[in-house]
Amino acid sequence: MTKKRKRQDDFQKVKLKVGKKKPKLENATATNFKTKTIHLPEQLKEDGTLPTNNRKLNIKDLLSQMHHYNAGVKQSALLGLKDLLSQYPFIIDAHLSNILSEVTAVFTDKDANVRLAAVQLLQFLAPKIRAEQISPFFPLVSAHLSSAMTHITEGIQEDSLKVLDILLEQYPALITGRSSILLKNFVELISHQQLSKGLVNRDRSQSWILSVNPNRRLTSQQWRLKVLVRLSKFLQALADGSSRLRESEGLQEQKENPHATSNSIFINWKEHANDQQHIQVYENGGSQPNVSSQFRLRFFVGGLGAVDEGLSSAENLKGFIEIIIPLLIECWVEAVPPQLAASVGSGFEREPLQVMQQVLNIISLLWKLSKQHDETHKLEFWLRKNYLIDFKHHFMSHFPYALKEISKHRRKETNKSIKHCTILSNNVDHLLLNLTLSDIMVSLANASTLQKDSSWIEMIRKFVTKTLEDGSRLNSKQLNRLLGVSWRLMQIQPNREATETLIKAVYTLYQQRGLLLPVRTLLLKFFSKIYQKEELRSYRLRYRSKVLSRWLAGLPLQLSHLGSRNPELSTQLIDIIHTAAARANKELLKSLQTTAPRIYDPQEGTVVVLPAESQKRLVQLVYFLPSLPTDLLSRLSRCCIMGRLSSSLSAMLIGILHMRSSLSGWKYSVKDWLITDVDYFSFLFSTLTGFSKEELTWLQNLRGVPHVIQTQLSPVLLYLTDLDQFLHHWDVTEAVCHSLLVIPARSQSFDILQSAISKHLVGLTVIPDSTAGCVFGVICKLLDHTCVVSETLLPFLASCCYSLLYFLLTLEKGEAEHLKKRDKLWGACVSILALLPRVLRLMLQSLRVNRVGPEELPVVGQLLRLLLQHAPLRTHMLTNAILVQQIIKNITTLKSGSVQEQWLTDLHYCFSVYITGHPQGPNALSTVY
Amino acid sequence: MAAPMEVAVCTDSAAQLWSCVVWELHSGANLLTYRGGQAGPRGLALLNGEYLLAAQLGKNYISAWELQRKDQLQQKIMCPGPVTCLTTSPNGLYVLAGIAESIYLWEVSTGNLLVILNRHYQDLSCLKFTGDSSHFLSGGRDCLVLTWSLCSVLQVDPSRIPAPRHVWSQHTLPITDLHCGFGGPLARVATASLDQTVKLWEISSGELLLSVLFDVGIMAVTMDLAEHHVFCGGSDGSIFQVDLCARPTERERSFQPEQDPGKVFRGHRNQVTCLSVSTDGSVLLSGSHDETVRLWDVQSKQCIRTMALRGPVTNASILLAPVGMLSSDFKPSLPLPRFNKHLLGAEHGDEPQGGGLPVRLGRHQQGSEPSYLDRLEQLHKVMCSTMEKNVLGGQDQLRVRVTELEDQVRNLRKINRDLFDFSTRIITRPAK
Repeated sequence: MTKKRKRQDDFQKVKLKVGKKKPKLENATATNFKTKTIHLPEQLKEDGTLPTNNRKLNIKDLLSQMHHYNAGVKQSALLGLKDLLSQYPFIIDAHLSNILSEVTAVFTDKDANVRLAAVQLLQFLAPKIRAEQISPFFPLVSAHLSSAMTHITEGIQEDSLKVLDILLEQYPALITGRSSILLKNFVELISHQQLSKGLVNRDRSQSWILSVNPNRRLTSQQWRLKVLVRLSKFLQALADGSSRLRESEGLQEQKENPHATSNSIFINWKEHANDQQHIQVYENGGSQPNVSSQFRLRFFVGGLGAVDEGLSSAENLKGFIEIIIPLLIECWVEAVPPQLAASVGSGFEREPLQVMQQVLNIISLLWKLSKQHDETHKLEFWLRKNYLIDFKHHFMSHFPYALKEISKHRRKETNKSIKHCTILSNNVDHLLLNLTLSDIMVSLANASTLQKDSSWIEMIRKFVTKTLEDGSRLNSKQLNRLLGVSWRLMQIQPNREATETLIKAVYTLYQQRGLLLPVRTLLLKFFSKIYQKEELRSYRLRYRSKVLSRWLAGLPLQLSHLGSRNPELSTQLIDIIHTAAARANKELLKSLQTTAPRIYDPQEGTVVVLPAESQKRLVQLVYFLPSLPTDLLSRLSRCCIMGRLSSSLSAMLIGILHMRSSLSGWKYSVKDWLITDVDYFSFLFSTLTGFSKEELTWLQNLRGVPHVIQTQLSPVLLYLTDLDQFLHHWDVTEAVCHSLLVIPARSQSFDILQSAISKHLVGLTVIPDSTAGCVFGVICKLLDHTCVVSETLLPFLASCCYSLLYFLLTLEKGEAEHLKKRDKLWGACVSILALLPRVLRLMLQSLRVNRVGPEELPVVGQLLRLLLQHAPLRTHMLTNAILVQQIIKNITTLKSGSVQEQWLTDLHYCFSVYITGHPQGPNALSTVY
Repeated sequence: MAAPMEVAVCTDSAAQLWSCVVWELHSGANLLTYRGGQAGPRGLALLNGEYLLAAQLGKNYISAWELQRKDQLQQKIMCPGPVTCLTTSPNGLYVLAGIAESIYLWEVSTGNLLVILNRHYQDLSCLKFTGDSSHFLSGGRDCLVLTWSLCSVLQVDPSRIPAPRHVWSQHTLPITDLHCGFGGPLARVATASLDQTVKLWEISSGELLLSVLFDVGIMAVTMDLAEHHVFCGGSDGSIFQVDLCARPTERERSFQPEQDPGKVFRGHRNQVTCLSVSTDGSVLLSGSHDETVRLWDVQSKQCIRTMALRGPVTNASILLAPVGMLSSDFKPSLPLPRFNKHLLGAEHGDEPQGGGLPVRLGRHQQGSEPSYLDRLEQLHKVMCSTMEKNVLGGQDQLRVRVTELEDQVRNLRKINRDLFDFSTRIITRPAK
């Protein structure tokens, strides 16, 4: 290669041609990459001391960012704060004061996004902060809130309502405590005060007029609606709060003493007796020590020093009513201009209806509040004087219209679109509107002014009656209003016919099927309230409404039809029935008597299907039944036996029947209340037997099943019952025993018992073990020196006793179920043998051991040994010594062929110790055990 | 002076030898017996420490004895129906009786029937006054216990039906007994019912303080004076003790069921009908359907003494013996008036009371005392009436006096004529 060539290579000329791409320079910068900004969402430095959010900002940074001039920074700080607090909830507790003071400060921020973020943060925080935690800071919160509400910027005003919503939901008690400022703010939101000369010569009620702001995004009607919704929520919270303190007249709070049971102690005696529950009753303080004092040195931190009364005094309420009601009427008039309402063709839009609804809601809440302060009806009179004419003019003139217009309107809506209509009916309830109006109006009337108001009251009455009669689809809220109006109508009108039609209308509603539970409950409460009111009148004035008594008489039947479908409703029914029965209401008792066989049916009667608490009430109701015929008693006895009533309830039932029988009371008490003695005894005996006649006859045919125990020495076969049934039967027998024991003529009752046993049980071959045991138990308890045991009974008892003992001795360890019976049955057998030596003798005589198979011999031997060892029986065994000796001899001869077994040696030994009385040392005895 | 003697006053429903017997509590010595009639349950009451009243079992009268004249039935107070329960106010001014479902209130000083209360729906079972006689309680078969303020009941206002101060309706079966504790309107009340509960209430607030559930119906209830224990008599013959002021004991307790006396008094064989505690709270008296009265030591729960009666025991109570019971020369300060059968306002046909002022004691408790002006007016009326009586009653006297005066005039005229005749005769006599 030459130098020249090399040079050429180095400096080769690049030829550029037209139409071809220009080749790239080697040193050209490549520009085809894309850049991205470096985004550092997190700080690299870890702050070890304070927890941080995703951006590694701690609480101090975030809070200091809130003072930043840039709205974006503030918003991101709020979002970051939310992030941080959701990750580390414990920061809330530590920094609550700082957080609240910063967050509430931005309620009045100029930027809408910041306010939105603040509201969202508050929404997040509020459920996590308890009311007592926030209460020290609440003056601050509410100050910021009211500053936002009264802000000159509309946007801030609107957002302040959202804040109010959150606070109302979470802290109703706190926010209603500051009602005096907030109520004024509400008024200022929709109106402004006339500061011109009008103030001088007019009274203050005229000084506020509705304001119209054309700059607002919303129409003024929409805005008013928003404010009114909040106001009614606020008043609702206020009314709820104060009605908790006072007893209210409403239908909802119907209990006589709502707080009476709140702090009383309920104790079960058994636990008290076992030192498990203790009672401490305090001097003058009831069941709880009275330590909470109402005294406060200062009311609120940084407060004005004066107590915030709000609407809690009648005067303040009056003042507020004076301001707000003219405004509300104005709203109403703007929503429903008279000329518009009068013209037929135009229907109401959705908004006006909502406004009307809210206006009425607020008025009815104000009425409710006023009633709470109104002891002397002075306020009611004042309200009537000032507003009746206005209301009549504005509201009532449209009252029949309202329904008509709305129905037309709705028809129009359905033509448009179904979807829209459903929304509408969700939001606006024209029925509720009408009812609220009636409620307001009716509460202005009273009995003395009935004459003057008859025209519009009649209108309302017609409306109410009509609504009730076709009111199958009322919901509970509507019904509550409706019943409230009806109740008031009944109160102001003592006229019977008018009352009767109203009750009748309610009754037709009540009779409809398929009502929801809350609706049904409300109706029941309404009726029981009327009933109680009727009862309060003295005898001469007491007037029984026919519909009411029909309703009352229908209750037992309803109860029996209801069965177990709705236990809550059954409980309410039982409550009312119980009250009426305790007050000896004739109609009710009569219908209860006829329905009693169905209620107390052992198979599917109400008494066996309901939960235990209702069962108890039903059992107690037996006391009030006017008469207890034989079939009812047999049903009751079946109820006791079958185990679907618990044993304590069965004992209670037996105790109640004892009270009703002639054997308990004084000789001179009222005669017609008593059950006949025959019925009473047969009740006791059939309960004692534990099995019905049918069951016993069915048992007779059982052979060869594992539940039936058979021995060769006794004609009686044992049927083994379940353990549950056995224990229940045993417990019930205790109660029966007690009832029998307290009968004064002991020997007579014993005679009745033993004749019943010999009539119903002696012939049987299969006897349930529980029955046998219980019969023994009763005989043992009843027997005393005056009683004579009949001859027919003794062999039966002896063979029963042997069967039982045989069963006990052959019981294997595996049968855990029957093992629990052992102690009880053994005790019963032994005590009857000890009490009646003749039974023992008969039993020993029946032990003809040569008849039995070899497998039963050890059992007989063991039995004899145990009887010999049992101390109370020893003297009786001594008297029968020859018999015992004979048996042992027989056994020995039978076993002589085979090897001497252990049981036989034991038996011989025992016999020699106890009967023949060879003196043996105690060490010899101990070998036996 | 020795401590006042405590006596046990008992009645049974048979009343073969006597209707009421008084024992010395600790020795059991029989002090007194009263004869005539069978007292009904909760129907025995001591009136003002001077009279013993007993509502008769199933009969419509109340027997009254003067305490010291035990053999002689003082009076039979006839009532409109069988009396089911009876009580007297501790200040001795009023007598309350439950007749069917009504409460009758008599004033002892006049015997007037002041008011009949009809708020119960079924027969009454027990009546009790508070210690200061300001309130009374009534319990009935309708499961209600009512608390009445005596003053509001007595306010004469025919238009208004007296309403009870509290209505306690938490019991679900008939009320069998009630006991009012110490402290007047601040007292606590224990009520027993067949629904197997005993409830403790507060009169001042009307609140339920405590409810104790038992296994058996409770027929009688009482408290000791310090209100440390409530004693509840069951229908099975046991008497249960509920401790009201028990703190949970910290000390360990070994399982020794034999040594711990427990909280049950066992011994009666049939339902307990009445209970009473002595003033020092050491002894409990109980009467039962098994025809015995038993005396128990509260501390150890042992039966100290058993006294057999002839029938089911209707009343057994421990009283501080009043003076009249022990000294024979004691005379009641006031005679027992005739008790009226008709309501005071209703007897228009009767003659108006002879100018007597109806003074109702305890009136100051109502707060509306009659003003001095009223009293002056009353006094003036009385004085006027006496003056009128003098004037009107004097007419006869006047006539007598007129006739007297006429007689005198006649006499004088006669004398005058005689004088005239005499003088004319003297003058006209011819001179000699």
